[in-house]
Amino acid sequence: MGRGLMKYKGIKPVLVVIAGLTLIQSIAIILQAKWLAEVISALFAGAKLQEQAGGVGLFLLAFIVRQVCGLFEQKAAYRFAEQTGQSLRKEVLSKLFELGPRFAGQEGTGNLVTTVLEGVAKFRNYLELFLPRMLATGITPILILAYVYTLDTTSAVILTVTMPILIVFMILIGLTAKKQTERQWKTYRVLSNHFVDSLRGLETLKFLGRSKKHGDSIERVSDSYRSATMRTLRVAFLSSFALDFFTMLSVASVAVSLGLPLIDGKMTLLTALTILILAPEYFLPVRMVGADYHATLDGKEAGQAMEDIIQAAEKEAALAATVPEDAVLAWTPNSHLCLQGVGITYEEEGRPSLQDVNVTFSGLGKIGIIGESGAGKSTLIDILGGFLRPTRGSFELNGSTLGDLGASGWREQITYIPQKPYIFSSSLKDNIRFNTPDATKSEVEQAAAAAGLDSLIKDLPNGLDEPIGGGGRPLSGGQEQRVALARALLSDRPIILLDEPTAHLDIETEYELKETMLPLFEGKLVLLATHRLHWMRNMDHIIVMDQGCVAEIGTHDELMAKKGVYYQLVESQREGIQ
Amino acid sequence: MRQDRWIGPYMRMYSGRFALYLILGVLTLLAASMLMFTSGFLISKSATQPYNILLVYVPIVGVRAFGIGRAVIHYVERLVGHDTVLRILSKMRVRLYKILEPQALFIRSRFRTGDILGALADDIEQLQNVYIRTVFPSLIALILYAAAVIGIGMFDVTFALLIALYIFILVAVLPYISLKLTQKMNIDIKRERNGLYQKLTDAVMGIGDWVISGRTGDFLSKYEQDEVKVMTIDRQLRAWSRWRSLIGQLVMGLAVVSMIYWSAGQVATGDLNPVMIAAFVLVVFPLTDAFLPVSEAVQRIPEYRESLNRLNRISGEDHADEEMHVPADVANVDIAAASRKAHFQLQQVSYAYGANDANSVDDVSLDVPQGKRVAIIGRSGAGKSTLLKLIMGAIEPTQGTVTINGIPSSHFGDDMPKIISVLNQSPHLFDTTVSNNIMLGRPDASNEDIFKAAEQAQIGELIASLPNGLDTPMRETGQRFSGGERQRVALARVLLQDTPVLILDEPTVGLDPRTERELLSTIFHTTLGKTLIWVTHHLVGAEWMDEIIFMEHGKIIMRGTHAELIEAEPRYRNLYKLDRPSE
Repeated sequence: MGRGLMKYKGIKPVLVVIAGLTLIQSIAIILQAKWLAEVISALFAGAKLQEQAGGVGLFLLAFIVRQVCGLFEQKAAYRFAEQTGQSLRKEVLSKLFELGPRFAGQEGTGNLVTTVLEGVAKFRNYLELFLPRMLATGITPILILAYVYTLDTTSAVILTVTMPILIVFMILIGLTAKKQTERQWKTYRVLSNHFVDSLRGLETLKFLGRSKKHGDSIERVSDSYRSATMRTLRVAFLSSFALDFFTMLSVASVAVSLGLPLIDGKMTLLTALTILILAPEYFLPVRMVGADYHATLDGKEAGQAMEDIIQAAEKEAALAATVPEDAVLAWTPNSHLCLQGVGITYEEEGRPSLQDVNVTFSGLGKIGIIGESGAGKSTLIDILGGFLRPTRGSFELNGSTLGDLGASGWREQITYIPQKPYIFSSSLKDNIRFNTPDATKSEVEQAAAAAGLDSLIKDLPNGLDEPIGGGGRPLSGGQEQRVALARALLSDRPIILLDEPTAHLDIETEYELKETMLPLFEGKLVLLATHRLHWMRNMDHIIVMDQGCVAEIGTHDELMAKKGVYYQLVESQREGIQ
Repeated sequence: MRQDRWIGPYMRMYSGRFALYLILGVLTLLAASMLMFTSGFLISKSATQPYNILLVYVPIVGVRAFGIGRAVIHYVERLVGHDTVLRILSKMRVRLYKILEPQALFIRSRFRTGDILGALADDIEQLQNVYIRTVFPSLIALILYAAAVIGIGMFDVTFALLIALYIFILVAVLPYISLKLTQKMNIDIKRERNGLYQKLTDAVMGIGDWVISGRTGDFLSKYEQDEVKVMTIDRQLRAWSRWRSLIGQLVMGLAVVSMIYWSAGQVATGDLNPVMIAAFVLVVFPLTDAFLPVSEAVQRIPEYRESLNRLNRISGEDHADEEMHVPADVANVDIAAASRKAHFQLQQVSYAYGANDANSVDDVSLDVPQGKRVAIIGRSGAGKSTLLKLIMGAIEPTQGTVTINGIPSSHFGDDMPKIISVLNQSPHLFDTTVSNNIMLGRPDASNEDIFKAAEQAQIGELIASLPNGLDTPMRETGQRFSGGERQRVALARVLLQDTPVLILDEPTVGLDPRTERELLSTIFHTTLGKTLIWVTHHLVGAEWMDEIIFMEHGKIIMRGTHAELIEAEPRYRNLYKLDRPSE
């Protein structure tokens, strides 16, 4: 456990400090027992209470030293956990942003946010618990045992023998419980998700007329869930039962084994009491490890999940192509971008999702990218936006050869409008000037007006300062597109990438949005990927994608005359519903 | 805090089990204490070198019994506790479900943001901790407190009062200070953490924009500042919890010292046998262990508050809604008739959500005899969803009438699913088998019926290709099922429900044109003879409709058949061109 720990910065001094404190603490534990036993046995022998004040004082001193050491151990561990957690979070977050939207999409936003926020907390908790526990388990029992050996061999042997038995039983039962949980995992998951699933499907159940009856099913499933959980718990709790059982049995055996030599007068009460007080202390560190086992395991896994993100980012970074120093990334009316044999194959799929794309973009103009779903439109847009690195081919930008388009200088040339632009949870104004936070109010107003947001702003009680996004005023799909459009206009970058900007909108909104967008496309290089054919009439060039390849390139009229893939697309939509 | 509605009632409902749990909890701690007590007595007694070992036989047995007993009782105690809490969880879930069920159609619009349903389910899970982590440790500590004070009181009342004072510090003073000191910090830290959660979610959702904007550094440094705020509070909380446990331990040390002095004094006056000194001193350690966790338990109280508030808010709304609900008073004969043939009539219907709100549906009249196909088109906010709710009888019009075969549609209540079935944008497919999902449409359906429905929805081949056919779990194939296929599973379910009226609420949003056309074609062919009320965002398939209505600001602004609209309305022609780009 915890072999990877040593790589964290500053762990060695912390370990030394905690180990030192644990050592002092262990000695204090032994002295505390010894001095307490001395006082009690003296009183038992009939000594005067007043004579024992010194002994009581010593006991109290050892007791306090022990507790204070504990406090400082925790503090040292906490400080270390805090710092390590913080630097880990910083690293993960910056790597996350390097990996970008593709990775976020694959892993799921909720999952990533939980991994980072709760993961860091769990990992910190793990470090905080694990370091003192590990050292306490390594140091305290050994010292106590050594001391008991000097006092009485029989008790020491009992203690020595119990420890491995206890640990073996704990591990065996732990493994059994794990196996049982794994065996039941599938049913278990279904049972435990049933309730949330039911709540989420409540509307559907209502439509089906099943919602009243379903209440019974919730009770039934909850009861099965309880039975299943209890079956698992019966085994899982056995692990801590074993811990308890052997500890208590061992303490009891020690107590009884001390009795006989005492009766025979072979042992003093002082020795016997010291051992008796030390016996539970001997097991305490192991019991603490057992109690925190799940928390430490969770934390370790959380740490691993974050390491995975960092490694994924480092793997990506290693693959990133270097940008030649003299490369000109800025896009002007005289610029050229040439894709040479660009393709991408995912390892797990085998089939290329994009292959052998050879296209040249020159200067300004409107380029439509059309094809059915799965034809590779979005993949091409993602490659052009630098979100995705092709596995084959290269780019020639203004005369320089590039391996991918991930360079930040290129990204600064681009605005990107996806199908559902993300609206940040802040004011409308901040959403519009997201790329250009220094834009003045009148600049924002101009961009908003051009994107057709005037009437919306008039209706909002706070105008441009109205909070939108999560927690704010909800916008319709068309309004969200307009906000993204205003953002693009304000940032005034020469290239606009659009991925299916209107397909999910109602047809009237789509119509109006198109009317707003078209004039704003002038003087830019616009790349618009869609399956909505009506856009193509307004494009200067059309790239037709089919099954991951570029099938045809041309204007609407040329492609219609050619009667190829594009013509087929148009024809099949014209047929309507048969 | 009105916690009685979600916590108290269940304690009464399971009072027997709770009592058992409490007794076992007390016994666990007593056994641990008695182990040390008897051990101390045993070795002290042995040290007096009794002439016969039989004199210490009882304590020897006692030591073993308490040792084993403590482990066994603790094991049983934990099982009883978890079993009880899971029983409560089950009851709470049913209760929450019954509260939400009548509002089913409004949940989405009422709680626009976030995953309120997931949050509520989590809240209930959270309440389990109230019992296991707060109520019970506290109650057990109080019982032991009383037992310890009474036990010592039998020997010496004055000393019992001193011990009572010590324990009072542990079970009342420290928890009180702890709660007062940390309450604000706990609330602050929770709020700050929620803020962090939202900020990070916001950033990850918009990660593409951040990357493109080239401002990720700005975000990271700003975010880190917020994290540092949380860290500062957390550090204070942890520092306090370390100090608190140190103070607790010191009180324990004082209790031990006091015990030494007291027992020595008692021995000196001859009131106590010297063999009892060790027993009395040693028992202090395990006993105090029971009192230390109380502060922690009490400090957790603010954590539950938010969950409780949310649940109370929900259950508060439930009563108001129940009163609004009109009981179904439609004769069975009429329901049976309507479930074969339904004639909808909307006469000058208006609806406003609040007294001061503008009409969401404004003066709409619509006649839909059995078998008519109507398409409704309009922007978001045009009143389409409200119109559907009126048709389904979920709300009553503020003006005008909505009737089925002459009976107000709101009177049908829970019998409405016999007349209307619904296929919407994202029908929920449950985490069970494909077959169970389809069967929800008609629970008594035979396997053949299910197959037939699946065939009609044209997923016969797809199902045949699944590893276990119809019995394949939905979630496992969730990845493999495309959007169109999921809609077809839902379509099979709706076909099995076999109602005379089908409402289609934008079922093709998010599908590509080919899938959209194919799905619509399947729907139109399998629902011949049924009434279709189709809210759509595209005009693909408009030729199939008997009437197309355009809504804006709650009003119908254009209506007619496809041919009439093409003929008379240039606006319609423009829109139609978007879907059918021809020469």
